[in-house]
Amino acid sequence: MNNAIRMSNVRKTFGKKVAVEGIDLELPEGALYGFIGPNGAGKTTSIRMIMSILFPDSGELEVLGKKSAVESKDRIGYLPEERGLYRKMKVHAFLEHMGRLKGLDSGAPLRKTVMSWLERVELGEVAKKKCEELSKGMQQKIQFIACVLHEPDLLILDEPFSGLDPVNMRLLRDLIQEQHDTGRTVIFSTHVMHQAEQLCDHIVMIHEGRKVLDATLDEIRSRHDPRTILLSPLNGQLVDGSLDAIDGVDTVMTTERGVEAHLTGSVDSGRVMRSIMDALEVSRIELRRPTLEDVFIEIVEGTGDPDLRKALRDESVAVAGDES
Amino acid sequence: MSKIFHVARREFAATALTKGFIIGAFIVPAVFAAAIPLIIILTMGAKAPTVEGTMAVIDRSGQVGDSMQSFVDGQIEQNREEIEEAVEQTQELTEQLTGQASPLPGPADAMLENAIGPDPEISVELLAADTDEEAEKARLRPSAEGEGGEGLLALAVIDEDAVLKPEDQESFGSYQVFVRPKLDDRVIDTMRDAVREAVREARYTANGYDPAEIAALTRVRGRATKEISETGEERGSMEALTMMLPVAFMILLMMSVMIGGQYLLTTTVEEKSSRVVELLLSATSPMQLMTGKIIGQMCVGLTLLTVYSGIGIGALVVFSLGDILPVSAVVYLFIFFILAYFMIASLLAAVGSAVNDMREAQSLQTPVMLLIMIPYILWLPISRDPNSTFATVLSFIPPVSPFVMMMRMTSSQASDIPFWQPILSVLVGIVGAYCCVWAAAKVFRVGLLMYGKPPNFRTLVKWVRMA
Repeated sequence: MNNAIRMSNVRKTFGKKVAVEGIDLELPEGALYGFIGPNGAGKTTSIRMIMSILFPDSGELEVLGKKSAVESKDRIGYLPEERGLYRKMKVHAFLEHMGRLKGLDSGAPLRKTVMSWLERVELGEVAKKKCEELSKGMQQKIQFIACVLHEPDLLILDEPFSGLDPVNMRLLRDLIQEQHDTGRTVIFSTHVMHQAEQLCDHIVMIHEGRKVLDATLDEIRSRHDPRTILLSPLNGQLVDGSLDAIDGVDTVMTTERGVEAHLTGSVDSGRVMRSIMDALEVSRIELRRPTLEDVFIEIVEGTGDPDLRKALRDESVAVAGDES
Repeated sequence: MSKIFHVARREFAATALTKGFIIGAFIVPAVFAAAIPLIIILTMGAKAPTVEGTMAVIDRSGQVGDSMQSFVDGQIEQNREEIEEAVEQTQELTEQLTGQASPLPGPADAMLENAIGPDPEISVELLAADTDEEAEKARLRPSAEGEGGEGLLALAVIDEDAVLKPEDQESFGSYQVFVRPKLDDRVIDTMRDAVREAVREARYTANGYDPAEIAALTRVRGRATKEISETGEERGSMEALTMMLPVAFMILLMMSVMIGGQYLLTTTVEEKSSRVVELLLSATSPMQLMTGKIIGQMCVGLTLLTVYSGIGIGALVVFSLGDILPVSAVVYLFIFFILAYFMIASLLAAVGSAVNDMREAQSLQTPVMLLIMIPYILWLPISRDPNSTFATVLSFIPPVSPFVMMMRMTSSQASDIPFWQPILSVLVGIVGAYCCVWAAAKVFRVGLLMYGKPPNFRTLVKWVRMA
């Protein structure tokens, strides 16, 4: 399979500040990739370099088989993080203008495409309004249309969900999924992990300008093997020491999610779960899957070390105790 | 290429096809233009009222009195003659210029007649030398008219020693004229001149000279100044017109460059501050975007230039003065506009891309605006002596070269400019425009995505070097 994007050892600095340091990336055609990382990690800089809006200081970059996105701009749809509209322009005129800039022929077909997109996102009635009259969420949908109007092969979305309400977030998620389903390569950045978790099949994590993770969601989950069992006792109360006695249970703590039993080193989690169910009656018991957020925090805080992890956890328990 | 076209098209539509622009650029001047004939029609119907009344004279010298009425009548007649002479001269001048009869047909003469108005009718009332001055002044008050007593237009008081100077005195006495409020200043002048003439003639007579002889001796009448053209033809001098032409051309040039450039700056700042620019950059390169914007606003400037120069040329043709404007000057006007516009506009685009809002743009655009102001400040020395070393050198230094060359070419001594100079000026302008666009493109590329602290000139220079 061909790569839609290939970056090798790309570096970018702004003055003394290193924004991106030695990023290697291969993004196959048709994939749905999530770029995650905290604010200021280098996500937007990387995306802008992919878009040839910025140029790397060193390293190589290839987009849709071309040396730079300039040559294939019309095949890329880009929703920037810093986005805006021509405030005084009418919605349909703006979209038609963007379509023409993306190489679509002006005329009746373009108008029809614009209208059908507006109707799809339930904005058919605002076509003749000025952009400045729209709410932020509506503007965001218009911007999304502007970047998919020309049916691009590659879709790059920088923080597409920021500022949307849950209903529109779901609508946008469905639209992105639909784009992906038609075989387009989609890459989007976010700092909200569960959005990436819901959508992506592949995650690239950037932290302090470096790539710290590049794997499928399943790989990440299996690599960060769950070592925690989450349960709720049937009568709501846990008899002290009843879990600690079970072989394989390291520590026990009560959180707002329920009772969490952390397992020791290499013990078989399935066997421990059966032992717990033998020992006490539970209304619910599950193996807690690590969320992307857990993985993210784990990597960001460099807490691969289990002792440090335990210390952090104890700290959070102490804080929780103070609050209650 | 098509992207540049689409950017330019939007730029032009968003600027020139707005209500504000159409009203400001066309409707307001059109209303003015329409108002002028309307005013002419209205004034043609209206007749200035005849001024009738009495001028009282207290002649303390006792030498003037009797002849005063004839002086007043004489002055009125002289005024009329002078005006008629001036009109004749104007008609002669235009006839010479155009080889046609007066371009101002009947209605214009009638208009002139109306503007001058009928001659005033002033009768002189001679008062005794010992009349109470204050009591007579009371008759000048507007309220005096209605109170039975007859009002006065004016009261002239001639001093005792105005005509005959006592031995022990160094100079002659004088006279003073008091008038009713809000009196037509031409009537006031007529009366004052009449009194002065009367006093003067009385002095001649008193000293044994013949007033008629003195009048003949002192009167020297010059004929209208004539220009001898290249073909040896005589024609009226058009000094005023030839002085105005370079200024008109330069202001036209400046105005269209400034308006186009200012719009470019505004739309660039708008695109940046509304953050639409990154969406645009995903579809076009910064160079395409800038070029498109510059061309779009150039069309706005060209529209203004065409409309206004069209109105100007139209007016000249209507008054049959079309031939004082060489066709080459009009062609060069458009060439120099494009050159000057590219230089100034690209600099303003760079400024617009570097700042975050219009407020920040003010300080950075000032130096660019000053560049345009230089030829404006220097118009007098340049148009007076368009072939001085100073003017010649300036016409080869971009970005003022197009303005200065335009001024030189439309000045009265344009024929003295060697043919290679405008061509060299254009070539220098092309190089200048290229350099400006090149440097601006670098700033534009870096500046568009830079937010935060507004850059100063040093930073801009750094951007030019680094990009």
